[in-house]
Amino acid sequence: MVIGMALAVAAGLLVGLQNIFNSRVQTAAGQPATTALVLGLGALASFLLGLLFTGGSMFSWDALEWWHPLLGFAGVGVVICVVQAVKRLGPTVAVSIIMVSQLGFAVLWDALGVFGLEQSPPSWNQAAGLLMIAGGILVFKISPKKGITSSKQPGRMSWQHDSAEERRKKA
Amino acid sequence: MKGIIFALGAGMFITLQGVANAFIGTDIGTWNAAFITQAGGFAAAMIILILLRDTGWKQLLKAKPLYLASGAFAAVILFGNMEAIYQLGATVTVAVILIAQLALTFAADARGWFEIEKKEIQLPQILGCLLMAGGVIMLQL
Repeated sequence: MVIGMALAVAAGLLVGLQNIFNSRVQTAAGQPATTALVLGLGALASFLLGLLFTGGSMFSWDALEWWHPLLGFAGVGVVICVVQAVKRLGPTVAVSIIMVSQLGFAVLWDALGVFGLEQSPPSWNQAAGLLMIAGGILVFKISPKKGITSSKQPGRMSWQHDSAEERRKKA
Repeated sequence: MKGIIFALGAGMFITLQGVANAFIGTDIGTWNAAFITQAGGFAAAMIILILLRDTGWKQLLKAKPLYLASGAFAAVILFGNMEAIYQLGATVTVAVILIAQLALTFAADARGWFEIEKKEIQLPQILGCLLMAGGVIMLQL
């Protein structure tokens, strides 16, 4: 439980950091090359860390199914959806909706118990907590101009930053 | 309208990917799952890169090494995500990750890290943080 929390916090901090750094790479090299680089390095690092922590299990692939690698294709779906949403709605609104959508779908997956999750229908406590978090995200992100969410500033608050193309359009 | 559908779809794909990864991680091992799904994603991205005849990779070295290397963070992100889902379920995991992510960007903006132009902290940001923290406590009750 505590370890799970700590790992979730670490993952979240790294996602925030990675978004900032990726946006810099994107400005230089564009979206497709950045996506390929990030996934390639992620795979390499996963292999090396797996080797470090578990040793030989990185070489045992008996339980591998043909469709496991295809799950990675969903990552491409993520990139397409995010890029299209940001293009149509602007970064601030798009990112706010994406974050709230993540919370909503997480509740749905838990409620349905998909993919071996322990089935747990949402409680009133949970509903209230989720509304507070969603409200917090919206208050946090949709604030007056010139503030933290100002969209002309590089590296502003956002889940995913503009692509190089978007930046050129704005400039 | 289309934009909203894409944004909702992104949220669906991100979370579905997390729980699906966790699912196969129980069979083949967490690090193995992190490796194989990213390798699959890399293959797909390379195919798209070739189909688009994208030459962006020639410009990659214009970015700082630290920024280029950040792709490696994904190993820890995926591992942490999967282990957290095992222990906490999808809802709490996603909530905590989102808040930590906002906190990091918030700090980077407020302190001007990584060549980001420093920005003043305003009331809505503080209010938003309090609401989110309260929400996570409610989730746990």
